[in-house]
Amino acid sequence: MHEFSIAYEIFDQVINTANAHGATEVKKLILQMGRLSHTNPEQLSFCFNVLAEGSIAENADFVVEMVSPTLECECGYEGEIDEKQIRESSALRSELLAYVAAMECPICGKQANIKGGRELIIKSIEIETEEDRTAE
Amino acid sequence: MGHDVYKANDKVAEKNRKKLDKHKVFSVNVMGAIGSGKTTLIEEAISHLKEKYRIAVIAGDVIAEMDSSRFRKLDVPTIPVNTGKECHLDAKLVEKALDEIDLDNTDLLLIENVGNLICPVDFKLGEHLRVVVVSVTEGDDIILKHPMIFKTAELAIINKVDIAHAVDVDAEKMREDILSLNPSVPVLLTSKHDWESLETWIDFIEHGVKETLKK
Repeated sequence: MHEFSIAYEIFDQVINTANAHGATEVKKLILQMGRLSHTNPEQLSFCFNVLAEGSIAENADFVVEMVSPTLECECGYEGEIDEKQIRESSALRSELLAYVAAMECPICGKQANIKGGRELIIKSIEIETEEDRTAE
Repeated sequence: MGHDVYKANDKVAEKNRKKLDKHKVFSVNVMGAIGSGKTTLIEEAISHLKEKYRIAVIAGDVIAEMDSSRFRKLDVPTIPVNTGKECHLDAKLVEKALDEIDLDNTDLLLIENVGNLICPVDFKLGEHLRVVVVSVTEGDDIILKHPMIFKTAELAIINKVDIAHAVDVDAEKMREDILSLNPSVPVLLTSKHDWESLETWIDFIEHGVKETLKK
């Protein structure tokens, strides 16, 4: 369980960016989380909320968009995993295993490398500034 | 914003890697569950290679310094890294530890990660070889339960195979499971009571050290 330190890194980045743009409040943050990463979105959100207490991000909506894995193969294929293969292997016990078990290239059939799906990106934040407030 | 939290770690890992390359140090990240035999395998490698090569160890532990004291007994420079409550080593912790190692006088750096099959996967350290150790006592379904660590490993070791029968586990099934996830990964079957099996692990590391020194 390392969600707390990851949440801390996210909190730090969000607050720095928000301050740099003169934010008085962080309304929302959107994360993109690879399905192959070992981060738990609920735990991460919980840790973030604990960290954000009393800060300008206290009431921010914590949105996590899950990103499906993509492959790159030596044959030149770059793209998604074959949906059919995932469905076939989804009889396996976990989503993670279903993905990892379906990493054959849909074009040539060789085992491909993981291209995307392991990331954890702070995609965007929505902030309110002093100006927004006076405008209202 | 587009800030990738894991990429931030990857960048430090790349820095570590460049530093190690510059000093011609071959580095090995040994991952695996608690009790899989990581410390013992590293001890064996140290004992049999320390006359030929200059070895340093980074020993990741949650709080205690038990592993590092085992390595120190073998008379090699050992940097204990207490991760506090963290479940894995990350590139920054290794970066700090590298500052305490005389890299000019090191050929091989063995890094023992924190005992865990999940968390270390997402954190590159800058290592040249990612090893996962799994013991038969963990049960023969352990591999499919933790697919990513086996998918991303560059060497997999199934350890304690001498007691596979006693714990009702088929080591060959474990090998097949690993290869089903990662068909090109070398898989070694080892036991601390079988010198020939240990030699395959030690040879694997020695090969890496030799290749690095050639560069």
